[in-house]
Amino acid sequence: MARSTYLALAAQRHRIPIGVDLVLRCHADHEAILLDGDRLGRVIAEAAAEFQTPLAFPLMDLKLEKTTLLSFFDVPAAESDSFHFTEAPSAEAVARFESALPSSAPSPRIAANLDALRYIATQTTLLPVGMSIGPFSLATKLLADPITPVFMAGDGATAADEPEVGLLETALRLALATVQHAIQQQLDAGARAIFIAEPAANKVFFSPKQIAAGSNVFDRFALAPNRAIAAQLAARDVDLLFHCCGELVDAMLDGFCSLRPALLSLGSSRRLWEDAARVPKDIVLYGNLPSKQFYSDSVMPLEKVGAQAGELLARMRQVGHPFILGTECDTLHVDGCDDAIRAKVAHLLRIPDPSA
Amino acid sequence: MSTFEQLSHAVVAGKSKDAKALTQQALTEGAQPGAVVDQALVPAMAIVGDRFRDNQIFVPEMLMSARAMKESLAILEPKLLAAGVQPKYTAVIGSVQGDLHDIGKNLVAIMWKGANFRVVDLGVNVSPAKFVAAIQQHKPQVVGLSTLLTTTMPAMVETVRVIRASGCPPVKIMVGGAPVTQQFANEIGADGYSADASAAVEVALKLIGA
Repeated sequence: MARSTYLALAAQRHRIPIGVDLVLRCHADHEAILLDGDRLGRVIAEAAAEFQTPLAFPLMDLKLEKTTLLSFFDVPAAESDSFHFTEAPSAEAVARFESALPSSAPSPRIAANLDALRYIATQTTLLPVGMSIGPFSLATKLLADPITPVFMAGDGATAADEPEVGLLETALRLALATVQHAIQQQLDAGARAIFIAEPAANKVFFSPKQIAAGSNVFDRFALAPNRAIAAQLAARDVDLLFHCCGELVDAMLDGFCSLRPALLSLGSSRRLWEDAARVPKDIVLYGNLPSKQFYSDSVMPLEKVGAQAGELLARMRQVGHPFILGTECDTLHVDGCDDAIRAKVAHLLRIPDPSA
Repeated sequence: MSTFEQLSHAVVAGKSKDAKALTQQALTEGAQPGAVVDQALVPAMAIVGDRFRDNQIFVPEMLMSARAMKESLAILEPKLLAAGVQPKYTAVIGSVQGDLHDIGKNLVAIMWKGANFRVVDLGVNVSPAKFVAAIQQHKPQVVGLSTLLTTTMPAMVETVRVIRASGCPPVKIMVGGAPVTQQFANEIGADGYSADASAAVEVALKLIGA
């Protein structure tokens, strides 16, 4: 694996926003580009050039895998965002899904993403990065209320006790299969790293009280499926880049580190310089400027971005942990706010390194 | 310990089956449904809110308490309706257009319900026109707008603008959600902002002068 790539980038004081959407939206026909793999690949390369990075981060669209999964349960794509299972699919339906998934044709959006990866892998010198929602986060999107069954399972309830726990377990099984399939497709298309976005693996969905009391619920629902993914990537000598922008307790952070990602991307609620003490030195910490507030010049003026970035760089240098400055999540286009957002993204690329 | 106290404890502990049984027991003992709400459920959810604010419990525990409260209310509401007993206040709530997230919105709805609000939950992806129609129909004292996504914040701005321009009955507008701040709330002309579901009760009660 190329863990050394990220360590070398950190040593070079690299910085990179996750922000392909901003570049895509500069193109008038951005909707059409989403369905044209070669053009999408060129946009990803354009973003990498603008952000002066060798990493070709793709678009972060965490809805795609849910649409794929639900297509096997006769849910139209237009309804997939708002669809929730009300009871666990039957064993026969799950078996049909698992049998049909490996040979299924990708949706037009996913096909374009795969073509974009092939473009990056064959037409550029950039490092092709794939992307998927994490299995737990995908499972939560399949239930109207995922938090209650997680809590009940953490309290020891089984599927036999509570049908909701059974639904969650089945949803997670479907989600893991879907994510692993999506990853397989991206590896076959040339991805050399996979960015797993697992935003729901946080203390909204998992009770810190249960975890502190010794429950294995976080390991069982959030970490175990991601261990399967880490093994899948290791078998192909591909790097895991792991992302969770939710609010965490330290035990969750420790769990993420146990997955041995090459890069760990955390949300702005974390103090990375404090987290550094818990994170092995061969895991590059990434983040975590509050990009969700970049839209507002009053809430997050340019000077504040500069000050926060400067403090983060200085503190991370002080603790000596490998670090790449970036954003807490995907930096998305917001109607009417693009100039403000892009100015801050450009600013984070220019902020002087305190130790330089 | 009285039945009301036991019921309160059951709700705080998130014990749905106990809450259901104790509600039934309270009624069998002759308690008025309104008294069960005022003397057991509302105090219980106030405790839940305080513990959440103080980081003694977290969202999952709060949801389990809400579930217990709902079990109790499912028994009480038909009786309250039959007796013509109305919640003290009314609120309308929804996630703004384009936003399909509902955890935060649901938590606020639960806490408002636990503070004796009748809550009209419009769901997710709610257009400004739907908010206006609901305000005109239900005449709430408070309307809550929720968003998780930065990309849907313009929809929050637009919803506040449309409500203000609509000639609706007077209503206090509260906003909340991950990317929302007090400063943003001030800028878009909202009346109130709360960072979490527990604070949403305090802010709403303060806004309506309760």
